[in-house]
Amino acid sequence: MRVILAEDSTLLREGLVRLLVEEGHEVPAAVGDAAALLRAVEAHRPDVVVTDVRMPPTHSDEGMRAALEIRERFPGTAVLVLSQYVEQRYAVDLITNDADGVGYLLKDRVVRVGEFLDALRRVGEGGAAFDPEVVRRLLARSRNPLDVLTPRERDVLAHMAEGHTNNSIAARLHVSRSAVEKHINSIFDKLRLSGVDGYNQRVLAVLRYLRA
Amino acid sequence: MGLLLGFATALPNLLVAALPGPVADGAVRWERRRIRKFLDVDSAQPTGGRAVRYLAVRALVGLLGGFVLVWLFYGGYYAAVIAYRLVTARLPGLDLGVAAYTVVVGAVLLYVEVQGILGVAALEARVARRFLAPSEAEVLRARIDELSASRAGIVAAVDAERRRIERDLHDGVQQRLVALGLLLGRAGRHPDRADELLRQAHDESARVLEDLREVAWRVYPAALDTLGLAAALEAVADRSAIPVTLHCGRFDAPPAVGTAVYFLVSEAVTNAVKHSGATMIRVEVTGGDDGVRVRVEDDGVGGADPLGGGLSGLSRRVLALDGRFAVRSPAGGPTVVEAELPCG
Repeated sequence: MRVILAEDSTLLREGLVRLLVEEGHEVPAAVGDAAALLRAVEAHRPDVVVTDVRMPPTHSDEGMRAALEIRERFPGTAVLVLSQYVEQRYAVDLITNDADGVGYLLKDRVVRVGEFLDALRRVGEGGAAFDPEVVRRLLARSRNPLDVLTPRERDVLAHMAEGHTNNSIAARLHVSRSAVEKHINSIFDKLRLSGVDGYNQRVLAVLRYLRA
Repeated sequence: MGLLLGFATALPNLLVAALPGPVADGAVRWERRRIRKFLDVDSAQPTGGRAVRYLAVRALVGLLGGFVLVWLFYGGYYAAVIAYRLVTARLPGLDLGVAAYTVVVGAVLLYVEVQGILGVAALEARVARRFLAPSEAEVLRARIDELSASRAGIVAAVDAERRRIERDLHDGVQQRLVALGLLLGRAGRHPDRADELLRQAHDESARVLEDLREVAWRVYPAALDTLGLAAALEAVADRSAIPVTLHCGRFDAPPAVGTAVYFLVSEAVTNAVKHSGATMIRVEVTGGDDGVRVRVEDDGVGGADPLGGGLSGLSRRVLALDGRFAVRSPAGGPTVVEAELPCG
C-alpha cells in the first residue's frame, strides 16, 4: 500500500517509515505537520494516511482536523489516526458519516508491531480499526443495556467495535468462525439491531449503539 | 511656587466644592498632583462627599498661604525700597541705631514669614493626609484585590506548569518509548537484522532515561532540598547552553522563597537561551535582612514580552510571595529580570 505519514517527532517518524518499508509498503512522503500532510495527500493520492493528532504549530488537534478534511476531500483515502491519549470524541468525529477506511488508535499500539500492521491493513482495505481502549470506555459508559449479553457475547461485541472481521474475531477468541457468527446473530437480536448488512455497516451500528 | 499655585487654585476650589461631581473629582486630581510634586505626599482619589470636604478645607489653607505670600512680597518690597535708598542717597537724619533696629526687625519678620510658609505647607500636607489618605477599609480592599489577583495567578501558573509537564512527558518520553518499542518489534520480525536493531533499541533506552531524568528535574530539582539553593543554581548554570556567571550569596531563606528563586533563575536562563541570542548570562542572588534579591541579565537582543508564558508565570510566582518583579528588555537588549522576595 502507498502510505503517507504525518508525525512531528522525527525519531518516531523515521522508525515508522523504516517499519512500513520493511513490511513492503511504499511511503511516498513522511511529514511533520498538518499543512504539509494535506499538500502531500494532494500530490501523492496515497491509499492510507497515518497521522498523529498533536502536531505543530499549536500542538492541539491539527492532525485530527487534517484527517477529517482528508476524509471529506479525498473520499477514497483511508485514514488512521494515532493519538497520545484516548479521546472518544475523536473516534466519534471520524465515523460521523461512515466507518469505511478509518482507524483511531493509541500511539502506544504501534509498539505491538503485528497488531499495528494488521490495523493498518484493515483500514487500508476499507475496514475500520478502533483502539481497544476506546471500545472498552464506550462499553463501560454505554447507556444502552448490555447486561442482556453473555460475557462471551460482550467480548465479541467489543471485537466487532474494534473493527475485526469474523475470521479475526474467531482467531483472537480461539473459537470457530461459525461460533462467532452464532454469537453475532444473538447479539444483534438481543440489542434489536436489525437490517445491518456488511462489515462497515456493522462496525458503525455497534459503535453508534454503544455511544447512544 | 507650590504655595503660589495653591493660592491660585484656592478660590476656584471653593467654587468647585459647591458643585460636586466630575468637576470636583477633576479638581481633586489636580490638587493631588500638586501636593505629590511639591510636598511628596501620596494620596488616593477620594469619593463624592470626601472630595468636596477636602476641596473646601484646602481652599482655606490656600487662602492662608496666599495671605502669607502677600506679606512676603510686601516685606520684600519694603526691604528693597529701604536698601535702595540706603545705597543711592543716605536717608535724611539716618541714625545707625535706627538702621540696626530696622535690620533686626526685618530679619525677625523674615524668619516669621519663612516659618509661616513652612507652616502652610505642613498644614496642606496634613489636610491632604487627613482627607485623601485611603481609609483602612480601602487599604484592606486593595490588599484583598491584590491577594485575589495573586491567588488566581498562582492557580494559572500551576495549570501552565502542569500543561508543560504533560507535554514534556507525551512529546518527549512517550515518543521515545514508542520508538524504542518499535525497534524491538522490528527486531522480532526480522531476525536477520535483530542484532543491529537491538543495539539501536539499547541506545534508545539510555536516551529515554536521560529524557525522563530531564523531565523529573524540571518538575522539581531534588538538589534544592538536599544540597540547597546555591548547588541547585550551579546545576542550572552547568546545564545552560550559554555560559552563565553565577553569584549566589549565603543567606537563610524559607524553602518557598528558595524554590521561587530557583525557578525564577531557571526560567529566566531558559528564556535567555531560547530567545535572546545572548553570549553570556549573569545571575546574581543576594540575601539581605528584608529578603532575597535576584537579578538575571543577558547581553542578547532584548524585546522579551513580560506577558509571555514563561515570564508571566515567574511574575505570578513572585507576586504570590508578596515580592516585586520587573523585566526590562528594550529592543536591542539587554534583558534584565529582577525580583525581590521578602523573607518573613
